[in-house]
Amino acid sequence: MPFAIPKTIYTGKIKEVVLGRGPKAITVGGETSYPFHLFEGEMPHPPRIALEVYDTPPDNWAEAALEPYRDVIGDPVAWAKKAAEVYGADLIALQLISTDPNGLNAPSDQATETAKKVAAAVEIPVIVNGSGSPDKDAELLRKVAEACDGMNLVISPVVEENYKQIGAGAIAYKHTVAANSPIDINLAKQLNILLGNLGVPDRQVIVDPTTGGLGYGIEYTYSVMERDRMAALTQQDERLQFPIICNMAKEVWKTKEAKAKTEDAPLLGDAARRGIIMEAMTATLLLLAGADVLVMRHPEAVRLVREMIKDFSA
Amino acid sequence: MIRIGENLNVMVKKIGVAMMERNPKPIQDLAMAEAKAGVDYIDINLGPARKEGGALMAWVVQTVQEVVDTPLYLDTINIEAIEAGLKVYQNKKGKAVINSIMARPESMESKFPLAQKYNAGLVALLWGPAGLPRDASERGVLAAELMQKATEFGIPNEDVWIDPIVTPVTSPQSQVQVPSCVEFMMMFQDFQEMAPGLKSTCGLSNVSNGAPEHLRPILNQTYMMMLERYGMVGAIVDAFDEELKAFAAGNRPDLRDLVFRTMDGEDVDPGTLTKEQVNYIKTTKVLMGNILYSDSWLEL
Repeated sequence: MPFAIPKTIYTGKIKEVVLGRGPKAITVGGETSYPFHLFEGEMPHPPRIALEVYDTPPDNWAEAALEPYRDVIGDPVAWAKKAAEVYGADLIALQLISTDPNGLNAPSDQATETAKKVAAAVEIPVIVNGSGSPDKDAELLRKVAEACDGMNLVISPVVEENYKQIGAGAIAYKHTVAANSPIDINLAKQLNILLGNLGVPDRQVIVDPTTGGLGYGIEYTYSVMERDRMAALTQQDERLQFPIICNMAKEVWKTKEAKAKTEDAPLLGDAARRGIIMEAMTATLLLLAGADVLVMRHPEAVRLVREMIKDFSA
Repeated sequence: MIRIGENLNVMVKKIGVAMMERNPKPIQDLAMAEAKAGVDYIDINLGPARKEGGALMAWVVQTVQEVVDTPLYLDTINIEAIEAGLKVYQNKKGKAVINSIMARPESMESKFPLAQKYNAGLVALLWGPAGLPRDASERGVLAAELMQKATEFGIPNEDVWIDPIVTPVTSPQSQVQVPSCVEFMMMFQDFQEMAPGLKSTCGLSNVSNGAPEHLRPILNQTYMMMLERYGMVGAIVDAFDEELKAFAAGNRPDLRDLVFRTMDGEDVDPGTLTKEQVNYIKTTKVLMGNILYSDSWLEL
């Protein structure tokens, strides 16, 4: 009897979600099998990579991460253009970090203005991230949604504490929301249900399961994403059939392994190479777990990951 | 279904204070109320009881037995406290039960002799040297070990209560753990053939731990029916949950029938059913691991 390779039977499909608008809009999702199991199903849209842009000059960044952006730090519009035109980002991930109540606590209106300018300056889709403070984000992201009416941004993060306010803005001004839960599959599903009940159309929802960096809890994220796809694809769990976004760069680059200078940690090897490889490895793991959009920082890490996607898809 | 009342617990503030102050009244009132609610056993839960646990257990057992004849579960990890309780326990309407003995060498070596010496029952908890078993087979291995040890010590089968460990449906591993408890109970029937009279019990309400308060009953009730189907005879429960009592008494055969049919893979046509019936079907599917749990599972 000839040997037959066992195949997983899939009964579900990830929904297709369009991000951005116009000729540079992109579609993510649509998978009918586990990530890169092209012998079992389809992956009609390759995973996409967003490059980060900060609305205020970041402090405490590793030298290697700073270097490609040194000329545009402090000018989010120029930064976004460079990420798009020079480094070929598929999307821009604007981090409105200045609004953090525990940091600069900049007013929402000012950050909204920045978001509007950046979104207008590039043709590729834009993800707008708040600081992660549920209250401040509720106010900020609503304003961003209104100011960027019809641009189909990805508004992020939307959490259980503020999904009503931000969700309403996304419905009214036609944006996509990134539903963010704290590395917990049951809570991820619950938030998707709540967004659905609120009236956010499925075609405007992607899922952010919360990402840990390599060596800092990434296995939990991996496990949640894996189970998300198992339920979505083999158990017809309709409330989990959404594309996944991983806001990973900030997690990778805040670790001491990515940040320590070569002379301070000689045993860990060359600092620049180390950070880039940590980022590329984290990205690869998340792709294998089912990520549709990766938020990354270093152009060289992006290049490595793009190669990897090409190899996996061959 | 044998009901073991869980209410006499040191974690309940009023009871904890009464225990500390050696004030018998709140404890006796609660014991009488549990007996009146018809529980078959009263669980006396002292928690870790590290400090003077022995004196406390002896006092609580005597205090409770002054007013009720209901047999007792002695629930603490303090071995001295267990022994002190057994020493003063009077068998009025049944043996005391040690809650519990784990499938770990130190637990088995120290507690089986007590069960033998004082002619007590015991809860054989399927918690092994590596902690919580990962699936039904690992549960089976631990059960076999515990049963073998019980035989070595000459404990009669009917004094051994196997507890497969119920875990919350809201926990990360629930899609494996919750159904695997039910799967283990399917094996339990084979164990009973080998050891006629063998009993079983479980911390039922743990299955709904972490779920919204108003939705806990349907999880507890459904899971009870699922476990009972394969021979679960006991459950540690809220003595005053009248609704659960009705289920334990087998008063809802209509729902039980639907739960069983769903367990067997039948896709019952919801068109002909009431909302309540549909809810029990949905809950069964979640508890079987077919549908991933979320707080809104009944609304989908």
